Amino acid sequence: MDSLHAIGFYVSSGISLAGALGVALLPRRDQRGAALGVVGLGLAGLYVSLSAGFAALLALLCYLGAAWLIASPQYRSIEGVAGAAWRQMGAVGGAGLLAVLAYSAFRGDLVHAVYYGGEFGATALSRLMFARDAMATEAVAALVLVVLAGATAAWRVRERGR
Amino acid sequence: MSVDLVAVFFVAAGLVAAGAFAAAWRRDLTAALAGVPLMFAGAGVAMVGIERFSAAGGPHLVGQEFAVLLAIAAVALVALGLGVSGREGSR
Repeated sequence: MDSLHAIGFYVSSGISLAGALGVALLPRRDQRGAALGVVGLGLAGLYVSLSAGFAALLALLCYLGAAWLIASPQYRSIEGVAGAAWRQMGAVGGAGLLAVLAYSAFRGDLVHAVYYGGEFGATALSRLMFARDAMATEAVAALVLVVLAGATAAWRVRERGR
Repeated sequence: MSVDLVAVFFVAAGLVAAGAFAAAWRRDLTAALAGVPLMFAGAGVAMVGIERFSAAGGPHLVGQEFAVLLAIAAVALVALGLGVSGREGSR
């Protein structure tokens, strides 16, 4: 990876992480939608710097669409039933998740364990998911997408029927 | 200046943790819903990075394909969540 791609990667990382913090912390929904659009821009830059141009284009379109939905004023707000203590515990859990994931990233290979099929780690897992079990993983992903789209359509039909 | 898999995993970890924080911290459920695309973005970055740096020799483009599927699933989840929450004045 040359320096131009590396600079693009780190700049895009900063943009996407700043947008992610905006989504988490900004108070108004139009601001959160704009921040999600910034995340989409940074994500597209990340994908381009990782030589995934087509994924970058589609991710940009999808995240701009999601940002438009989030920023739309026509959807009502729903107050959650969880109390402040639970939300604070969840926030601390998010920080703990960051620590665990950062430690895993620092270790690089997630864990160093050996099972009967050979070494287990990020590389071995990617070989399993992206090579040997690629068809099964894609089938599960396609099934999830169909379920999500079907549930959305069913809910809209039910709402119109009321 | 170079980029390796560890740097990609750090960015992915930041996105996933920010999404989890947003989903847990927000009182408004439609605002908490915005954390889901962030977590999916982190997973997509990790998958593209694994394919870019670790899966050399195997079939390419599968990590990108999963990243695209995750982006579409993120939009579908947001649409589902907002559809469930309902429009203003519809009830």
